[in-house]
Amino acid sequence: MKRSRIIAIIFIIAFVGFFGSYSAWNAAQPEHTCASCHEINPSFHSWQTSAHREIKCVECHGTALSNGLHSLQEKGNMVLMHFTGDKHSADIRMSEEQILAIMDACIRCHQTEYSQWASGGHSTTYGRIFLDESHNQMEQPYWDCLRCHGMFYDGTIYDLVEPVSTSGPWKLKDDQMAQRPVIPCMTCHQIHTENDPYGQFAQRLDHDHAEPVVFDTRFPAVALYLRSDKQFLRADFLPGVDFFHNGQKINVSDDPLQRLCIQCHAPNFRREAGSEDNRTPYGVHEGLSCMSCHNAHSGNARNSCVNCHPATSNCGLDITTMNTTFFNPQSEHNIHFVSCDDCH
Amino acid sequence: MSHQIIQDRREFLKASIMAFGGAIMLPSCLRNYTPFLFFTADEALLLTAICEQIIPADENGPGATQAGVIYYIDKQLYEVFTWEQDKYRLGLTAINESSLELFSANFDMLPTDKQLLFLKKMEGNELPDSYWKDNSASGFFRTIIQHTMQGFYGPPRHGGNKNYISYKMINLDYPYVVGRNLYE
Ligand code: HEC
Ligand code: HEC
Ligand code: HEC
Ligand code: HEC
Ligand code: HEC
Ligand code: HEC
Ligand code: HEC
Ligand code: HEC
Repeated sequence: MKRSRIIAIIFIIAFVGFFGSYSAWNAAQPEHTCASCHEINPSFHSWQTSAHREIKCVECHGTALSNGLHSLQEKGNMVLMHFTGDKHSADIRMSEEQILAIMDACIRCHQTEYSQWASGGHSTTYGRIFLDESHNQMEQPYWDCLRCHGMFYDGTIYDLVEPVSTSGPWKLKDDQMAQRPVIPCMTCHQIHTENDPYGQFAQRLDHDHAEPVVFDTRFPAVALYLRSDKQFLRADFLPGVDFFHNGQKINVSDDPLQRLCIQCHAPNFRREAGSEDNRTPYGVHEGLSCMSCHNAHSGNARNSCVNCHPATSNCGLDITTMNTTFFNPQSEHNIHFVSCDDCH
Repeated sequence: MSHQIIQDRREFLKASIMAFGGAIMLPSCLRNYTPFLFFTADEALLLTAICEQIIPADENGPGATQAGVIYYIDKQLYEVFTWEQDKYRLGLTAINESSLELFSANFDMLPTDKQLLFLKKMEGNELPDSYWKDNSASGFFRTIIQHTMQGFYGPPRHGGNKNYISYKMINLDYPYVVGRNLYE
């Protein structure tokens, strides 16, 4: 046999062996593979108690091969850290590209939510947010813009758009960014939930405390990703704040999901309802949550009226044809703020 | 969102080696899981009991346990305060030994009043000397107080203050609700 033949055979055996073990690796239960590495262990344990515990790691994260070199590099680094003892190993974080790659997986299983999201305002892109002439002329792009749109962006505003000033023309440094979504699913959804593995220990602490220490067992479906902290905060821990109208405090729904909305649809520093991008209702709909009318993903509110009307109409009229922005966007009676006095 | 495919042979080889590396090192890290980087489960339990005495849950709000202070100390000892590792390891052992001698039980099994009494003695350096040859009881106590405060009030990214729970307790709206200030 020629030498080159032998080399080829060795290569083939190695090749088959490699793919054999590699596919076995990917098919196995995560506790025997991914999670056997302690760098990944926390993620494994949070997954175990999450809504997605039936779903294998590879379904979302892909495998080293399907996910491209980015993930390989990451795994390589992990191996390296494992042996060099780099102490920051517990803080593995995904890049924006990886977050968006994982989103492809979400879409496979959650078609309905995806198409709703795609049809609504939240599927907006870097192009639309950062190349808006009138907006940029009014206020130059700066770091805080990324708080509410572009929270997973890996660089700074200077890496994203130029010039960083109020006089254009503006362009994105990387053209390909233009179509990227700025509010992907993971803005509002945390997959690796923070169920407290400490629960089991806490039960052994049988103190005579004034208050029993309560631990969560189930994580709510919604959490906000905080760019500043590179962390999620679950919706029920977001602050519910007081809102004012004409100097008077108004009733505000304590729905945790509304607390999520007002983080971005936020008021001015005086917390005036309806200021800036805020839509906290006062008037006839005071105290209602955004979620009473809006679909979380499409933003559609047009189908909600029938849930409460006509049963609750004071005027005995069809509310959908009354003079509000619901009937006519140009109406001076904004559906969020209209009150009896405005019409009577 | 294009999926990259491994393009050339060099990259493929690199990939294979890494994947093999991953498979080969596997058995070396199979072991029982605790959520901690530095502490053993027993150490963590003991320290949690101490921290909870320093900041107990009460009608004003949550205590050190609920704020996950133990995770803060654990993470910092592993990543940053590595020079304090011995102090903790020896100190926690010394606490349990002292507790066994004084009250015939591990510290975390004592009722609250006994735990407090114990910590007062610790603060005043009045624990049995034989267990505290390498470590000052009052010094260790001060360290724990400091770390507990940091873990309770510091930002969550360092491991403690879970869900910003102490900010909530002091009525700090976080993250601050404010808009883009377009027109002001
Ligand atoms: C349903 C999809 C899904 C599944 C299943 C899943 N992950 Fe994740 N994973 C994500 C997303 C999304 C993120 C980004 C951060 C987040 O949402 O928590 C992530 C982040 C991570 C991170 C980075 C750490 C972090 O919190 O950012 C690691 C490590 C990880 N996953 C490992 C695993 C392992 C191991 C498994 C299987 C035991 C697994 N994942 C299963 C979606 C998933
Ligand atoms: C392989 C299919 C699959 C993939 C991939 C997947 N999911 Fe799910 N997801 C499910 C199933 C099934 C449930 C219902 C679980 C239940 O009710 O306990 C679910 C539940 C949810 C819920 C409700 C959670 C709750 O606590 O009630 C959210 C939110 C969600 N998924 C978001 C996502 C996001 C975001 C991604 C992408 C990172 C994703 N899913 C990827 C199958 C999937
Ligand atoms: C507090 C969160 C927040 C910050 C900070 C913020 N935005 Fe927005 N942005 C929003 C919300 C919410 C909307 C949707 C408003 C609506 O449709 O009612 C929006 C919409 C937009 C739009 C669409 C057109 C419009 O004006 O409605 C552009 C463009 C935009 N933002 C650019 C920016 C830029 C540039 C910055 C930084 C200078 C910025 N935003 C800072 C929350 C924010
Ligand atoms: C702006 C925030 C936001 C974004 C972005 C978002 N969601 Fe949601 N999602 C929500 C809220 C709020 C709920 C809870 C709705 C409810 O309880 O009525 C929810 C609920 C869900 C549920 C659970 C539905 C159920 O009936 O239990 C799934 C699944 C889900 N979202 C998937 C997705 C997917 C997939 C994406 C990306 C295409 C996405 N979400 C993007 C806010 C968001
Ligand atoms: C992460 C920030 C963020 C969060 C959280 C958020 N939004 Fe938005 N929302 C935006 C931005 C930015 C836009 C505008 C996109 C554009 O115009 O390009 C928008 C647009 C909308 C629109 C469509 C506006 C239009 O003119 O078409 C509705 C409705 C809406 N949001 C409702 C909600 C509700 C309800 C919630 C809570 C479940 C919520 N949003 C949570 C940032 C956010
Ligand atoms: C009583 C029902 C109702 C409630 C409650 C409500 N909305 Fe709306 N909202 C609507 C309707 C109806 C529209 C117009 C939609 C259309 O014409 O398609 C709208 C439009 C919007 C728009 C688009 C811009 C505009 O003003 O037309 C945004 C953004 C928005 N709502 C955010 C919110 C947020 C955030 C909350 C909670 C703080 C909220 N809404 C509460 C019914 C409601
Ligand atoms: C969650 C329940 C709820 C939903 C959903 C709702 N409303 Fe209402 N609405 C009310 C209540 C309650 C009142 C009466 C308030 C009062 O008596 O002070 C009211 C009053 C009104 C009024 C004042 C005139 C009247 O007949 O009382 C108008 C106009 C109105 N709603 C329009 C709408 C429209 C348009 C929608 C759909 C976008 C809608 N509402 C969705 C609960 C709701
Ligand atoms: C968008 C405008 C609008 C709003 C908001 C509104 N109304 Fe009306 N209301 C009308 C109109 C138009 C009529 C019919 C007037 C007529 O027939 O002369 C009416 C009629 C009435 C009537 C007489 C009904 C009858 O059978 O004769 C009462 C009572 C009434 N409204 C109470 C209220 C109250 C209370 C509120 C606040 C909760 C309210 N309206 C909010 C427009 C409005």
